[in-house]
Amino acid sequence: MRYIATLHVRTKPEIRDPQGEAALGALRSLGLEVTRVRTGKEIVVTFEATDEASANDAVRTMGNELLANPVIEDVEYDLVAGQPA
Amino acid sequence: MTRVALLRYPGTWSERDFQHAFAQIEGLETEILWHEDADLRGFDAAIVPGGFSYGDYVRAGAIAKISPATKALRRFADEGKPVLGSCNGFQILCEAGLLPGALIRNSGLEYRCDWVHIRTESDRTPWTAGLAGEVLRMPIGHGEGCFVADPDAVAELEATGRVVFRYVDAKGAATLEANPNGSIANIAGIRNEAGNVLGLMPHPERCVEALLGGTDGYRVLANVAKAVAPTVPAPVYR
Repeated sequence: MRYIATLHVRTKPEIRDPQGEAALGALRSLGLEVTRVRTGKEIVVTFEATDEASANDAVRTMGNELLANPVIEDVEYDLVAGQPA
Repeated sequence: MTRVALLRYPGTWSERDFQHAFAQIEGLETEILWHEDADLRGFDAAIVPGGFSYGDYVRAGAIAKISPATKALRRFADEGKPVLGSCNGFQILCEAGLLPGALIRNSGLEYRCDWVHIRTESDRTPWTAGLAGEVLRMPIGHGEGCFVADPDAVAELEATGRVVFRYVDAKGAATLEANPNGSIANIAGIRNEAGNVLGLMPHPERCVEALLGGTDGYRVLANVAKAVAPTVPAPVYR
């Protein structure tokens, strides 16, 4: 069975996000009243799994072992069964 | 003869500098090990050099974390053998969980290539014996050297004397100006609980000759020859 997981990786709220801070300054220079910017990334993984439970296990392994660093990042994901777009 | 392994991942670039640096030290021999078949048996110490392993993709050090070489390195470290990771090597050690915390983008977002002063806060590593309190001058070259960890982890590092190097000014004061990347508490290097694993952002291998601007790196690297009792070379399987 084919699954598509979309992982959203974000810097933990208490960890500094220098990229977000730089974007904050730049957005303010556009005259916008921006108070906080946090950056992250989206990772889309297409993979095979026997059922939804094992697909969920696989995505959690992807997040914990490689795609996010639990020391500094939080990860959430959406999982759908089917063909990639 | 003390045998030092230099790990080479795709994108590692400082292994030859380390080889050159160790060549200045008597009683040492080095070997560069490719990450796919890194066998650390028969080595007395291991170096994780700097560079951009796997192009820094995903995160600096993230993909190296699951390389076969890192598995071998974990066993080697568990045996209490001296391990030193510099720059990208420090990032790999943190990603692999051999050291706590993480290294994120420099607070100024700039890649910093400069000389810095670091104060040796702990001599309880094989690499810093006899250097307690010494202010060393070393080069840095990194874009992601801002050390972060949760407040409890930082407090524990401080309380247990595991902060090994701190960015300071030439007089030895840990000022904001002396911090090149925004690291918490000016932390430039830390060790593991046992003390055998050291990670630091500066490059000791790039300052082992006066001709290259400094020799303080020699003082750190030469320690390993003293710290390690040479072992019998492992049999060669061919």
